[in-house]
Parts: sequence; C-alpha cells; structure tokens
Amino acid sequence: MLDARVIKRRARFTVDIALRVASGEACGLFGASGAGKSTVLACIAGVEKPDGGQIRIGELDVTPELPLHRRPIGYLTQDANLFPHLSVADNVRFGLRNGARESGDAWVAELRDRLRIDAIWREPARAISGGQARRVAFARMLARKPELVLLDEPFSGLDRGLVRDLVAAIATWQRELGFTMVVVDHVAEILERLCARAVVIEEGRAVQEGSWGELRAAPATALVGELLAPL
Amino acid sequence: MSKRIAAALFGLALLYPLIGLFAPVGPWHWDGAAILDAVRVSLSLTALAMVIVVAAGTPMALYIAHAPAGERLLWQGVLLISVLLPPLALGILISLAFGPHALGPLLAHTGMRLTNTPLAFVVTQVYVSMGYYVLGAVAALDGVPRALETQARLLGHDSWAVFRRVTFPLARLGFAVALSLAWVRALTEFGAVVVTAYYPAGMPVAIWTGLENFGLPAVMPLLVVFLAVALPLPWLAQVLAQRRPSGA
Repeated sequence: MLDARVIKRRARFTVDIALRVASGEACGLFGASGAGKSTVLACIAGVEKPDGGQIRIGELDVTPELPLHRRPIGYLTQDANLFPHLSVADNVRFGLRNGARESGDAWVAELRDRLRIDAIWREPARAISGGQARRVAFARMLARKPELVLLDEPFSGLDRGLVRDLVAAIATWQRELGFTMVVVDHVAEILERLCARAVVIEEGRAVQEGSWGELRAAPATALVGELLAPL
Repeated sequence: MSKRIAAALFGLALLYPLIGLFAPVGPWHWDGAAILDAVRVSLSLTALAMVIVVAAGTPMALYIAHAPAGERLLWQGVLLISVLLPPLALGILISLAFGPHALGPLLAHTGMRLTNTPLAFVVTQVYVSMGYYVLGAVAALDGVPRALETQARLLGHDSWAVFRRVTFPLARLGFAVALSLAWVRALTEFGAVVVTAYYPAGMPVAIWTGLENFGLPAVMPLLVVFLAVALPLPWLAQVLAQRRPSGA
C-alpha cells in the first residue's frame, strides 16, 4: 500500500498531492506536461527530496530520508539507464541479491522470454537499440519483484507494437504478482489499460480522482475534458 | 596514413632526449650495490606512498565529485595549491611544518622523525603526488553519469556496492591515469625529497649524487635502470584499465 502526501516547491507553483493506493492496486497520474506528475513520482522514489508531507510504503515510513537502496521500489523513467559495461543478462540480474540469484532464475527466464530479450541476452548493453534497452530496463526493474512499481512515462518514444506488448505484459504481471503500481503518462489510452482509476493533476494539485468512466462522465475542469477527448 | 606519420614524428620528438644516452661520456660507471639500493628504496617506499594516496585520495575524490559546485571549487583550489608549489619549496615547508618549531617535538615524543628517514621519504611523496591523484580521480568520476549511480541505488545497492560495481568500472581508465601520474610524480620527485630525505637515497637522489661524485658516466646506467623500473607499473595500469570487463 502507498499512502503519500508530497509537497514540493517548484518555480511556478507548489506541488501538493495526497495519494492513497491500496495494496495490489494500480493508479494512474494523469495531466498535461509540467503539471507535477513526475515530481510526485520522483519524490516517492527518493530521487528528489520533498519539501514536506509524508510517504509510507506499507508499514515503512520512507519520509525521513530512507536511503534509496532500502526502498522496496521499482522506478522506471524514459531513460533506460542501463549499465553500459555489463551484458544485458548482468543488467537484468543487477538488482538480485546473491541469495536470490538462483531462486530468481525462473522468474528472470520468464522476463527474458516474455520481453523478448533472449536474442540479445549475452550482448553488451552498450550495443543494443533504444527499444531493446527499454525492454531490458523493464526486466531489470521487475527482476527484484518490488513492492511498489513507479512508472514515469516509460513507453514514450517507443513504437506502437512494442508499447502494446509491454503494456499487456505489465498489466498481467501486476495482476499476477500483486505489486502496487503508480503510472504517470499523458496518454490516457495507455493509463486506461494499466490502471482502473486515475488522479488528474493540474499545476501541482489533484483536481479530480476516480475511475475512467467517472472522469469521462463528469470532467471536473475543461482541461480534464480536453485531455480525455479522443484524438 | 599522414596522421600516423605525424603521430610517429611526435613520438620521436618526445623521445629524442634519450639519444643523450648514446653520448660519448666515457665508460659507464656501474655501482651495482648502490643502484640496487636506490631501486629498492624508490620502489618500496613509493609503493607504500601510493597505498596511502589511493586509500585516502579515493574517498576524497568521491566526496569532491559529489559535492555542490561551490564546495567543489574550494576543494579543487586546495588541491591545486599542493600541486602548484615548487617541489623545493614544498620540501622546505614540510621540513618546517614537521620540524622542531612545529610538530617535530610531538612526533619525536612518539618516536617518529621526519628528517632523513623512510617515514620522511613516504610523507614527502604523499604530499607531492596526492593532488595529482585526487584531481585525476575527480575528473574520472565526473565522466560517470550520476543517473547510473542513482539507478544502482534504486536497485538495492549501498554506496560501496555502487562504487565497486558501477562507478569504478566506468571510471577505471581515468583512475589508472590518475594513479600513473601520481606514481610517476612520486617516483621522480627530487626537489622536495632532497630536502626532507637525502637518506635513504631513492633513484632521483642517487642520480644527483652519482653526477656529483662521478659525473655523467654514473648517471647513464642509473637512467636506464630508472626507466626500466619506473615504466612497468603505470603502463600495466593502462593495459588493465583498457581491458573490457568480463560480461561486457
């Protein structure tokens, strides 16, 4: 479960968002570019330091500067950030503790096959394409089976076929493994496939929250209606 | 091809002074025991100095590389001071700072003496080479994207594991260069060492005393031996650093 209130001062406005996501639930953060969605995720992940609020992941209070390596979090952005000096296989296994390496083999093999990275498994990470790198980054994040998964527009810039495959795989694993997930994207179509409900953010504030049906039926602001309108 | 010829000319020009080894200076004066002694002093004490430089300098380089811009500039200024001091002046300052009017009595109380002792030799080498190592190591660390270190932490690794598995492998070539520079700087040091540790005599001081006592015929064999013993370690460091790690 994620129970968070994130306060972070930005140049134009202060982000102040309260977010409750039940254990095993997937929640979308939706809004225009620059609304503060990524800031919320970065603060929860610990990559940015919030100016106030409190963040709890399950029973763990991560607000008092809990070191990044102790947070049970998987965090993925548009940048794959693969380790270029390691092979794809070593990148995927990077987060596994020594003891978990053998027990995690079956899971890693499933990730490898499902994300279709078996053909590049022994390749150096520096030698693979951007789309392949993104798939490897997904595998690396999920290999640890994090309690909370935070996705910050990890599908942007990928071709439609790959996005469809990745979204389907993530949705299945989220249901099967039961991890809690928060997804940021400005494409409603992607969020709808991954999350049953969403929080809409405008200039650092949550302006509406609910299921996609509720959001569509009665958009709280003109911008919400605009964001949800079909192309 | 023309680039290769230009590079070859550059190399020849750089090594040209070595032609002096073939100058007609008379029969070379070999004092095997003295040469061996100087080699032993230089290699063993410089190696010890490098252990201290790496052990103290690496954490400091990590600290500076991750420090805010203002603090970073301050530290780089401190390091530059240590690098910019003329060796002879540094030797005099070390002698004074650890001499009878400063820390000397305290050190003497603990049985340590920083004049003409192996300790004085090592301390001087640490002072002359530390700045080179840390400045080089900071530059090497700057080449490692911070996002990769953050990613490694997010994947459950503490600071030491991140350094071992991500930072160092990506910065190893720069570390090798930094260590090579520090090694060469310490091993070849004359100006500061001749003030603080005339004894035990390392290679540079042995070359000086050889020149004083026997002239050029005594210098030539020492130079050949010096090159033979000084070159392998920094060269090996470069070779190892350029090898791709396994799994990559």
